[in-house]
Amino acid sequence: MDILKVRDAQDVEQAVRAAIASEQPLEIIGHGSKRMVGQPIATNAVLDVSALNAVTSYEPNELILTVQAGAPMADVLSLIDSKNQQFSFEPMNTSQLLGTPDIGTIGGMISAGLAGPRRIQAGGARDHLLGVHAVSGFGDSYKAGGRVVKNVTGYDVCKLLAGAWGTLSVMTEVTLKVMPRAESERTLVLRGLDDIAANKAMTVALGSPFDVSGAAHLPGSALRTTQGTLGEIALPDQSVTLIRLEGITASASQRAVSLSTTLKSFGVAEILEDAASAVLWAAVRDVTPFAASGPRAMWPVWRIVTPPASGGALGQAIVKGSQGEVIYDWGGGLIWAALPPSVDAQAAQLRKLVNAAGGHATLIRAPDDVRRAVDVFHPQPKGIAALGERVRNSFDPKTILNRGRMSRGLGT
Amino acid sequence: MTIMMPAADQAVLARREAIIAALRKLVPGEGVISSAAEMLPYESDGLMAYRQPPMVVVLPDTTEQVSKVLRYCHENGIKVVPRGSGTSLSGGALPLADAVLLGLGKFKRVREIDFDNRAVVVEPGVTNLAISQAVAHAGFYYAPDPSSQIACSIGGNVAENSGGVHSLKYGMTTNNLLGCEIVLMSGEVIRVGGKTAETSGYDLMGIITGSEGLLGVITEITVRILQKPETARALMIGFAEVEHAGQCVADVISAGIIPGGMEMMDKPAIHAAEAFVHAGYPLDVEALLIIELDGPGVEVDELIKRVEKIALGCGSTTCQISTSEQERLLFWSGRKAAFPAVGRISPDYLCMDGTIPRAALPLVLRRMKEMSAKYGLGVANVFHAGDGNLHPLILYDANKPGELQLAEDFGADILRLCVEVGGVLTGEHGVGIEKRDLMPEMFSEVDLNQQQRIKCAFDAQGLLNPGKVFPTLHRCAELGRVHVHGGKLAFPDLPRF
Repeated sequence: MDILKVRDAQDVEQAVRAAIASEQPLEIIGHGSKRMVGQPIATNAVLDVSALNAVTSYEPNELILTVQAGAPMADVLSLIDSKNQQFSFEPMNTSQLLGTPDIGTIGGMISAGLAGPRRIQAGGARDHLLGVHAVSGFGDSYKAGGRVVKNVTGYDVCKLLAGAWGTLSVMTEVTLKVMPRAESERTLVLRGLDDIAANKAMTVALGSPFDVSGAAHLPGSALRTTQGTLGEIALPDQSVTLIRLEGITASASQRAVSLSTTLKSFGVAEILEDAASAVLWAAVRDVTPFAASGPRAMWPVWRIVTPPASGGALGQAIVKGSQGEVIYDWGGGLIWAALPPSVDAQAAQLRKLVNAAGGHATLIRAPDDVRRAVDVFHPQPKGIAALGERVRNSFDPKTILNRGRMSRGLGT
Repeated sequence: MTIMMPAADQAVLARREAIIAALRKLVPGEGVISSAAEMLPYESDGLMAYRQPPMVVVLPDTTEQVSKVLRYCHENGIKVVPRGSGTSLSGGALPLADAVLLGLGKFKRVREIDFDNRAVVVEPGVTNLAISQAVAHAGFYYAPDPSSQIACSIGGNVAENSGGVHSLKYGMTTNNLLGCEIVLMSGEVIRVGGKTAETSGYDLMGIITGSEGLLGVITEITVRILQKPETARALMIGFAEVEHAGQCVADVISAGIIPGGMEMMDKPAIHAAEAFVHAGYPLDVEALLIIELDGPGVEVDELIKRVEKIALGCGSTTCQISTSEQERLLFWSGRKAAFPAVGRISPDYLCMDGTIPRAALPLVLRRMKEMSAKYGLGVANVFHAGDGNLHPLILYDANKPGELQLAEDFGADILRLCVEVGGVLTGEHGVGIEKRDLMPEMFSEVDLNQQQRIKCAFDAQGLLNPGKVFPTLHRCAELGRVHVHGGKLAFPDLPRF
């Protein structure tokens, strides 16, 4: 395998131009922590951007951070943490789920667009990417967006690049919005609710004026073998439902009490504070019940985004049909499902249920041969798939960048 | 008129009668307007310095009609300009002489309110405010609140990615959408997203939002709604120096406080507003900040105290804190009436829109003062201080020969300055025609070509709203050409492992 380790944006431009000339598709990687997500890419040339790792500028007062795309996520997170700031969309750390040693780069974080529990309140990666410098599949360096919070002049190209899994451009530098970290947090813990009741409780909480920033439900069966904090909080075979409130201390604690009252028909809520609360949400964000080091390591894992109020019913139907396990985030709007292994990761059956619910499902973890056999990303209606392909073509007509990663038809 | 629009296609104009007849078959009844007198209200939008009668106005009331009209225009090479309520301040809905003006004003229904999923499905002609009104009984609202929210349509908000005073905390339009139905220029109807937090595949919703009517015609929108904060209170803080006010804004944010709204006015704007609405604004200050905190009562009370202390530390000279809803609204009344207030002291004004890094504010205001002297035109500033979005109002008199041109030149200089200090040409009003020719100040040809290629993916013939946003139009075939540079190993010096 040919690995091209680029040093700057000009190198990227040069590498892509050479790839165009030799009709050689490139796999784009940072640390390679999410390489096993997507349709397998058939290429023997890798473009490694991990050396583009500088922090260009960080202006906490402007709530703005500009970094090169290969900057390690771990370093950047500790940098902004030192100023008591954060990425509000709570990017997922995929290392436990995917079993990788590294948590990856900022470019990977944006390209994957995997937002955590706070997405329901603060939006996703796409809402926090303000500007970008990138190289398209034409081999041209271009910029889009800006370095201010109201960033967009012209088309909002950043939205397309977030979550595009590197199939539209090679990002070389990104400008991100950062936000202050909350002073304090509280988590209400409700126990023993079934998926439907928990979904209802979360819907009530999210429809309340208490500004909920996390709403997750972990059925007892999914927690039975879970290690770490999530496992410890659960009583045997009992579910936990978690609802988070953040803000200044006086406000978070008062809202926790008020919300407990609102939810009293669902049971008596325990209230966890600050650090005890934070570790739980990190575990929910990182889907630790299905960790690659745990008993579900061999099970394929799906990420299902669905209308939140009916998430509980969908999750129950999935479990019933597949003998798998699910956990819920985003008040029911995000379901992680680990299913017993099969040649197609039970894709056909699962997608039938998901389609009926108005959602979509992505196969986040599965062996190569399974990912070759199924559509990793949710198949779209013809018109929208064709439009998406025309958009992809407008960035990369020769399909040089991560060829076929998001679409099975393009891999060959 | 200093901004040139694409030359009218005489062959299309020659077929005008036949085109009108064909459109009448597609949109029966009163949906096709072709008399000069009846088309008059459509000649202009909120950028009133520019007027142009369209070839014909079509007002469909179903998605199917929109689809048929677009398909017909697509097949016959006829340009189309979409229009919502016509409140664009950048000329986004300015008609073309040889184009169909497609008004979405009849799409006025709220189709579905789904409190459990916190989503509302509306037609594009519904006004921004009407969405909040439709859900107010259950304590919900739709967060983006452009100043024109009584009149502006949600379809137009999506097209322009509108903001408002609350966008620092609650985001712009793009951050508050869940799904949409759009009709492509070919007539094809596409549905993106739904009631889910994210769409599948590429974020087409994201690229459609803010695309200024160039990519498709929006016929249905699903927005996210929020519970109203329990309470809101405001501080009105005066400063003897603009720098002090700027420092206060930075310090509030550094303290980890994200106010619901944080607005600044400069001296001319304060005086104009006070003379108009008598809000009790201090007249001896150089800058006035209105900072609104919203949320649970206990939180708001605490944050008010913290902000007051920060303001004092920055040298505030006056500070009033609202103690009632009535007083809070009074504080806002001057800010909200700033545009008409300026309208009273000047025969005409040009409302600009640009964004700068907050730290550059004192510099930008100083330079603006110098420009004001150079051009001999007054300028009043209102400013979404939290997110760096400037709205300079340039005062001029259209009846004085050459003054509009002077005002436009002044405005262009301000926007160049925004880019120079690291900002962007727009905040929340879009590019339209107003800033079209300034795009090269911010973007290289390569940057603009990439944007135009996206346009090609949606509308390869360039029939939808041409002449807006992009200063130079290229053919899609030309843009799509891949240039093969050099040989197979153009990077011999690149490290390989």
